[in-house]
Amino acid sequence: MTSNEEFKDLAEFVIKYGKSLGADQIEAYTLFGSVKSVQIERGSIRRFTDTNNSGLGVRVIKNKAIGMASTTIFTKESLEKTVKDAYTLASVIPSDPNFKTLPSDTTEAPTISGRYDKDIAEISVEDFTELILEAIQEATIREDAIVNGNFNAGIGERYIINSEGIDRFASQTSVSGYLGVKIQDGEDIGKAYYYDAATLMKNFKYIKIGKEAGIRAKKMLGSKKIDTASLPILLDPDSTYGTIEPILSSGINAFSVFNKTAFFVDKIGDSIASDKLSIVDDPFVPEGTDSAAFDDEGVVPKKLSLVENGILQTYITDSYTAPLVGLENTGHASRGSFASRPRPAPYTMKIKAGTVSKDELLTDMKEGIYLMSSSIHSSGNNPQVSAQIDQGFYVKDGELLYPVKNTVIGCTIFELFNKIEDMSKETEDRSGHEAPWMLLSPLQVSGGK
Amino acid sequence: MLDVLEQVINKVSLSSKDFLDIRYAYAMGESFTVRNGRFDSVSNQTTGGIAIRALIDNAWGFTTIVKTDKESILQAANKAIKMAQAGSKYTKQERTIGDGWVFEGKGATKIEIDPRDIDKETKFEKVIKTEESAREYSDSIAESSSTYQESHGKEVIVNNKGTKVENETHVIRLMKNIVGREGVKMQSIFDSIGGSGGWELVDSWDPEKEGLKAAVTAEKLLRAREPPSGKMNVVMDPSLTGVFIHEAFGHACEADEIIAKSSILEGRIGERVGVEGVNVYDDPTVDGLRGSFAYDSEGTEARKRVLVEDGILKEFFHTLETATALGMEPNGAGRAMNFNVTPQARMGNTYVDGGDMTIEEIAEVTKEGVYLKDSYGGYVMPAKGQFYFTCQMGYFIENGEITDMMGNVGMSGMTLEVLQNTFAIGKTWDPAFKGTCGKFGQWVPVTGGGPNLAVSNLVVGGTK
Repeated sequence: MTSNEEFKDLAEFVIKYGKSLGADQIEAYTLFGSVKSVQIERGSIRRFTDTNNSGLGVRVIKNKAIGMASTTIFTKESLEKTVKDAYTLASVIPSDPNFKTLPSDTTEAPTISGRYDKDIAEISVEDFTELILEAIQEATIREDAIVNGNFNAGIGERYIINSEGIDRFASQTSVSGYLGVKIQDGEDIGKAYYYDAATLMKNFKYIKIGKEAGIRAKKMLGSKKIDTASLPILLDPDSTYGTIEPILSSGINAFSVFNKTAFFVDKIGDSIASDKLSIVDDPFVPEGTDSAAFDDEGVVPKKLSLVENGILQTYITDSYTAPLVGLENTGHASRGSFASRPRPAPYTMKIKAGTVSKDELLTDMKEGIYLMSSSIHSSGNNPQVSAQIDQGFYVKDGELLYPVKNTVIGCTIFELFNKIEDMSKETEDRSGHEAPWMLLSPLQVSGGK
Repeated sequence: MLDVLEQVINKVSLSSKDFLDIRYAYAMGESFTVRNGRFDSVSNQTTGGIAIRALIDNAWGFTTIVKTDKESILQAANKAIKMAQAGSKYTKQERTIGDGWVFEGKGATKIEIDPRDIDKETKFEKVIKTEESAREYSDSIAESSSTYQESHGKEVIVNNKGTKVENETHVIRLMKNIVGREGVKMQSIFDSIGGSGGWELVDSWDPEKEGLKAAVTAEKLLRAREPPSGKMNVVMDPSLTGVFIHEAFGHACEADEIIAKSSILEGRIGERVGVEGVNVYDDPTVDGLRGSFAYDSEGTEARKRVLVEDGILKEFFHTLETATALGMEPNGAGRAMNFNVTPQARMGNTYVDGGDMTIEEIAEVTKEGVYLKDSYGGYVMPAKGQFYFTCQMGYFIENGEITDMMGNVGMSGMTLEVLQNTFAIGKTWDPAFKGTCGKFGQWVPVTGGGPNLAVSNLVVGGTK
C-alpha cells in the first residue's frame, strides 16, 4: 500500500507534467486497492487470492475539449505516456461548449465515522477463513446442500487532485461476502443467495449470510409455473431498494436529464409517484458502505431530499452537468472505475416507512406475488419493464404458497411508481441502505403455466 | 517476456503433482463516444501486469503484480505457493491439473489493416456522421450516440508442465445507440459492427446510412403496438437466437459450474436435450468474430466445441482444472479479462446451426405468436435452469403472417425445455449477437448467432 505522501508525489507529478505540455486544466484520479479473497466451492475452500487493483485516470482539458487516459502501471515512463495520451486526445477533438471548468471546491470534507477498520486491513487469510467456515456451516442446512460463494476483505485509497485546487485523500476498508445454496429433491431444485457488506468487521453479518442462504434455498423448493394474471406485488426491503434505487438513479441524474433520456425530465416540483414515496439520499451515513466525504471529482456532497410524498425535489448533479440543468453542483460525481468519466449517481438512499405493519400487508393480500431480494428493473434507459421474478412466491389468502418460476412482470416504471399502494412501518437497514416492505397495486404478471 | 517467465518458473521448486502458471497480460485500448453532437468520452486505457496461480495439495493461491522484473515475479510466485499451501488444509475436494496437456506456440488475431495506423480524423468521422445522421432525422430522437472502440492485448503464459505460449488479440467495434422519445414513451435501438481483427471489419460501415436506419426504426417503435404477455410461440431472429443460446444453454455448459454443482446440465452428457436436427456449437477459431482467439488464458490451443449434436448434449467448456476433474480434454475455454483475475470456463462464438426454412415458412407454421428481433442482453441462473433475455423490437405473427411492429420486451424460459420445444429452424444464418459477457465480475467479448428459430411456450413479459 502506498502512503498518502507517495500518492501526493505521484499525482503532483501528473498535474505538473500535464501543465508543462500545455493543458488548460488537468485532474489526476488515483485508486489503490488491495483485496484478499476466499472462494468457496462445494462447501470448502477452493482458492485464496491476494491482488492489488490500482490505477490512475487522467483528465486533460485543452480549449474546452476533454481527453482522458488511464493506466495500471505506475512507472514514470507510463505516467508520462498516460498524460501525453490524454493531452493528445484533448488537442485533436473539437471543443465541448457545455464544459465550464473542473471543480475547485475547497470546503472542508466532513469526517464520517466507521470508514476504516484495522481488523479488516490487517486480517490474515487464516483468520478470515475461520469466520467463513462458520458461515458455510450455517448455510449447510442439509447434508446434501451445495454451498458456493466468495468473500472479500480489503482496503481502498482514493486520491483526487486537480489544477483548480482540489486535493482530497480518503481510505476505506470493506468486507463483503455471498453464499449461494442449492438443495435438490429429485428434479425439484431450491437455490438462493444471501449477501452482506460492511466497512467495519463488527458490522459484518457473516453468520446471517450462511443462515439466510440456507433457509431461503429450502424455501425455494417446490417452485411452480403460474397463470398469466394481473396481481398485486409485495416487495421485501431488499426488493424495494433494488427496484427504487436504479429507477431513480437513471431517472434523476442530470446527465440523462440534459440528454432528455432520464425518466423524469422537467419534473422537479411535479408528482412522479404515489404520495407514499419519500426518499432522502445521504452521503454521510456513519459506517455506510456507500458513504463518502467527497465525490469522485473531490466535491463535498449534500444530503438531499429526492422525493417527498411523491413530488420530485431535485436532480443529482456533478461539475459538468450542474450548469446544464441550471442547478448547483450537488457533489454526486461517480466513476465506475479510475478509467471512466464521472457521471452523477446517488450515494445511500433512505426510503421512508409507512404506517401499516408488514404482516398486515401480507395477510390482507387475497392473491398476489411476494418478492424476496429481487428487482423489478427495466433494460437500459427504457421505461418499459419486463422483469423476470428470480426469487418470488405466489400468495393466496395472506400465505406464501410456493415459489414461482418462469414468470415475468410487465409494466412501465411510471406505472410502477404510481402503483405504490403502501409502505410498511418496519424498515431494514443494509449497510446504510434503508427500505420498508412495499405493496404495489396489481401489475401484469406473465406466467408459464 | 517469455524468457523472463521461463527463468522464474525454472527457479520454483514444485512436486510433479503441483501446478504453477505465470501469465503476463498487457492491453491497450482507445475509445471515443459522440453524443448529441459533442465528444462525450474520449480515452485511452492501458492495463498490464503479471498473474501467478499455484495449485498445491488441492487448493489454489493467486496473486498479481504490476512489476515485470524477474525478482518481483519470483517473490510473487512464492507468495502464490504459500497461499495455496495455507488453503490446502481447509479444502475437502481433490483438485489437480493433468500432465498430458502441454502447448507451445504463438497465436495472433488475423488483422489486415492495423487500426493504430488509421488517423484519428478517419475514426472520428465514422462516429460523428453516424450520430449526426440519426440526430437530424427527427425531433423525436432524444439521444443519439455513436462509439468507436479498439483494443490490443498480449498474453504470455508459461506453466510448470511445459506450456509456453504467446498470444495476441485485437478487437474493434463501432456502435450506435439511438433513443426515441415522445412524452413518456421511449424506445432504444442499439447496433454494432466489428469483431476480432482490424479496420477492415468496420470500414464498410456507412455512417449516414447506419445512423438514419436506427433513427427511422426508433421513431417507428414509438408508435408500435404494446407487446403481449403470457406463454406463446416465439420466433427469434439470428441476433436473438444468439443471445438465447448463449444464456439458455451456453452458460449451463461451462464446466466450472458443472464442478460446482451449479448447472442443470450436470451429468447429462449423452442425453437428449433438444429435438432432432438441433445442433449447437462454439468456435473461437473462426476469423473475425468477437469471441475469436488462438490460445486461451491458460495457454490451451482453442478449438471448435460441439455442445449439442442432433439434440444430444456432447461437450462442456473446459479449463485445465475442469477437464482434469471430469476426465475430459481441455478445449481452450479458460478466459481471463485481464491480469488481475483468474481464467474461468467461458464461451467464445456460440451458435445454432442453420436449417432450411424461410422466415415466411416459419411464420406460417407458427400461426400465432411473435417474431422478436435484435438482442438487448439477458442472464441465466444455470443451477435452476431458468433464463431471461430481452429484445429491442418485434412483430406479431397472426394467422401465419408477420403483421404489426411491437416495442421491446423480455422473455423467460427453462433451459431443459426450450431446445425440446424448438419447432422450426431457418436457413438465414448470421453471427449477429455481438456481445460482452459477464461472469463473476469478468467481462469478455463474445458472439452469438444462428438462424431464425421458432420455440413454443416461452413466457413473454408484455403489458397486455
